[in-house]
Amino acid sequence: MSLILLRITIAFYSVGLLHSFLTIITRKKTLFRVALFGIGSGFLAHGLSIVYAWIEGQHPPITNLHEALSFFAFVIVLAFLISYARYRLDSLSVFVFPLVFILTLAANLISSPPRPRPEILKSLWFYVHIPTTFLGYAAFFVAFSAGIMYLIQEHELKRKRPQAFYYRLPSLEVCDDLGYRSLSIGFPLLTLGIAAGALWANKALDQSWAWDPKIIWSLITWLVYAVLIHYRLSAGLRGRRAALMSIVGFVIVLFTFIGTRHQGSAHSFIQQ
Amino acid sequence: MNIVLVGVSHRTAPVNIRERVHFPEPKLVQALELLRSRYELAEGMILSTCNRVEVLAHTPDPPEGVRQVKDFICNFHQVPYETLQKFLYDFMQVDAVRHVFRVAASLDSMVLGEPQILGQVKNAFNTAQSAGTIGSDLSRLMTRAFFVAKRVRSETSIASSAVSISYAAVELAKKIFNELKGKTVLILGAGKMSELAAKHLTSSGISKVLVWNRTYERAVELAESFKGEAIRPEELFKHIERADILISSTGSPNFILSRADGERIIHLRRNRPVFIIDIAVPRDVDPEINRVSNIFLYDIDDLRNVIDANLRQRQREAQSAEEIVRQEVEAFLEDSRTRDVTPAIVTLREHWEAIRKEELARGRKRFGELTPDQEAALESLTQSLMNKMLHGPTSELRRLSRQSASEDPLRIIKRMFGLKE
Repeated sequence: MSLILLRITIAFYSVGLLHSFLTIITRKKTLFRVALFGIGSGFLAHGLSIVYAWIEGQHPPITNLHEALSFFAFVIVLAFLISYARYRLDSLSVFVFPLVFILTLAANLISSPPRPRPEILKSLWFYVHIPTTFLGYAAFFVAFSAGIMYLIQEHELKRKRPQAFYYRLPSLEVCDDLGYRSLSIGFPLLTLGIAAGALWANKALDQSWAWDPKIIWSLITWLVYAVLIHYRLSAGLRGRRAALMSIVGFVIVLFTFIGTRHQGSAHSFIQQ
Repeated sequence: MNIVLVGVSHRTAPVNIRERVHFPEPKLVQALELLRSRYELAEGMILSTCNRVEVLAHTPDPPEGVRQVKDFICNFHQVPYETLQKFLYDFMQVDAVRHVFRVAASLDSMVLGEPQILGQVKNAFNTAQSAGTIGSDLSRLMTRAFFVAKRVRSETSIASSAVSISYAAVELAKKIFNELKGKTVLILGAGKMSELAAKHLTSSGISKVLVWNRTYERAVELAESFKGEAIRPEELFKHIERADILISSTGSPNFILSRADGERIIHLRRNRPVFIIDIAVPRDVDPEINRVSNIFLYDIDDLRNVIDANLRQRQREAQSAEEIVRQEVEAFLEDSRTRDVTPAIVTLREHWEAIRKEELARGRKRFGELTPDQEAALESLTQSLMNKMLHGPTSELRRLSRQSASEDPLRIIKRMFGLKE
């Protein structure tokens, strides 16, 4: 049942993908309302799919790659819907919808039959670790998108020859504010996620976990965002440089999430 | 739906012609009454602005209606027809509908998408309504036209970009700061131009105005008119960092702000952005300052470029607007055709109802005494027989009214009576 619902979700999300695609090609807002409806309905179907997966597997469905991708897509849509409710930013959809579609599609393609979960995952800390980390990543993705929108809009304003982006993208202030708020939500979540992961690993694994590449990269991610937030608060860092750092930060997040998956690491149970 | 429209506009006539046929506000009612009484035009409406004069009328005979309206315009303004002839345009039926929609949606305006025209059309409609020259047809047309204008406004961004220097400055400021509430503008040089720009900014919500001028008295004077604050000539750099927006138009022959100044200002402002508008010629601000992160410098030519781009943007949006107009004209026509056929259907039913009653009365005698039940059965039998027979012709009439192309009469009749084709 959860797989069928996930396929329905994909169908709904594909409307969002179509919107992003057409909007980029025509440089005009195309099908936005339809896409918003599609994403909203997809979100509900997606939520149901996760609930069913939970019931079918009798544990929160975040224990293998298929489930992790699906859950990640879900929290990104959640982050989008929250920021849309707050800012009414249509342009954000162009970034969010394709990623959400790809993640959900990937989840669909590598779907594996539910297996009994490994013993080490039966810990409360694990179920704090994953959702908080993912929610943090979703917030960083919003900050990343806001950063890109900022750079494009700044470029348009500095170049003084307004083109399609100038009209479609929000003001610099809004991009900067969205980026900052996303960071201030994402950073505590990531901190909590890392802390929960460490607590859990300490109980479940032997000492070697600390040198797992994913953990090292997570700490680098955490440091980058810590520096960014520090300078924002203490030195009033904003605008272009803040936007660039949000973008770099998310690239490292992606690397942490995808690039460091290899056998023998403490996170390898999530691989098959 | 027999609608005609005759008029002149900025597209067809120079201003010396347009002013000769202009209907001044106080004379409008009089003109409308004349249109109705002397020319037997059932419904009429006059739109008279500085860019266009148009008379819209409902008439049983369109070509004749056009002639009458032309005659009316010439007569009312005492202008010989020969003078006006080559400037007048006229539209009938579908074309008139389309033209009305395009005008209301500001697609025929001199400045594409300018918002005043819709208000002017609404006024013209209200005046005609109070003069009693609006009937159901024009009322339906104009209500639809207002709806089309609203759709174009909300579904395209034809009117959302600025096309004057002052508004372009305000629009740019909003692209940087999002809103002007709580922001401070500093005016360098108390000239006419900067005053005008500051006026636009304050009416768009800016909170504080600072004025700096070489002669302090003039600065005080201008500051007072904005309830702002004058800055002493020697204290400029003490206050300059307070400004989110800087409008410069001094008579200085050299740059008064250098790139180094810009860097210092941004440092003092902890990276909060500054929007500098340099409308002075020769320029007051070193163009290099635009390279400083978080400073955005626009001179007078840059603002003009923005306006040009905005106009091109409006042109692009106009294409989507024309598509909306096309759909709406189509919908309006279909609606009109169904409306035209309704009276015919009513007459048809009344006609057969009369025949049914007559025949029933005549045949009734032969039945003799009947129980109330039998009485009712007879009534419902004849009624349902009639309904069944009329069903074919009624639905065929409705169907035919929705399509404009003509069809083979034999096929129509066959379909009407449910015969196999």
